[in-house]
Amino acid sequence: MSKPQFAQICDLVETERIRDRDIDRGPLVGNWINSNPETESIARLNVFEADAKLQLQAFGVGPQGLSDWGTTVAAVFAAGPASRMGAGFAATFDFGFAEARLQAMIMKGLLVLAEFHLFKDDSKRAHYFLREYYAKTHDLFSQ
Amino acid sequence: MTQVMNGDELLGRWLNTNRGTRGISECTVARDGDGITVSIIGVGEDGPIRWPTVQAIPLANLEEEGGQRTMALLATFDLGFMRAETHVRINKGVFVIVVFVTFWDDSGRANYLNREFFYREP
Repeated sequence: MSKPQFAQICDLVETERIRDRDIDRGPLVGNWINSNPETESIARLNVFEADAKLQLQAFGVGPQGLSDWGTTVAAVFAAGPASRMGAGFAATFDFGFAEARLQAMIMKGLLVLAEFHLFKDDSKRAHYFLREYYAKTHDLFSQ
Repeated sequence: MTQVMNGDELLGRWLNTNRGTRGISECTVARDGDGITVSIIGVGEDGPIRWPTVQAIPLANLEEEGGQRTMALLATFDLGFMRAETHVRINKGVFVIVVFVTFWDDSGRANYLNREFFYREP
């Protein structure tokens, strides 16, 4: 086997082929709630699998309550080039006048979401970046 | 949100806080006319590997320290066999690079993410 190309030596690994579906998405799947109840951005994320792909449904905060952004396919990322453990995902919501690019990673059980809001209209609004934290809902401690 | 952002705090040469890194050893952020460029050097087998310099997308960083006074950058590096989508920002004086790597080759490696920390070259 020839040596794979790399741009940083941590990528110089030998591994059996790791396909997208080989990466454990369990840590990513679930209903995620923003830790900040005052958020003005994404309040809730629903991450699930369908059609063998990771899917992401986001709910933003709107003037009349939560706004369903719809569902988009998310690309899964592992913890390393030879890892099968899902560590995060990336996805984009395109609203026409703007797009929200999302990069999420799991840290200590939290989902840390980096949001890149890019305006494509002529409103002259500045692109902006947000980073928020989400907890996965569960019923382990309910009585 | 129409104020001019000031990204001066990001400009300069940033060195990895981890001497033993096997990833990105340093990053340089520079002005290029009205734009901002990002250059990255990776740790190689026989010396540094210089990634192509790219134009960054500046974003107002609303995460901390007063909105438009700080900035985050999106920078995507296309190296042919792989793509590295990065974002950089400063958090409490530490320069943070988050990288999402997608392999385009047939090596079988998993796409992955990583995060590294940098300090300003003294």
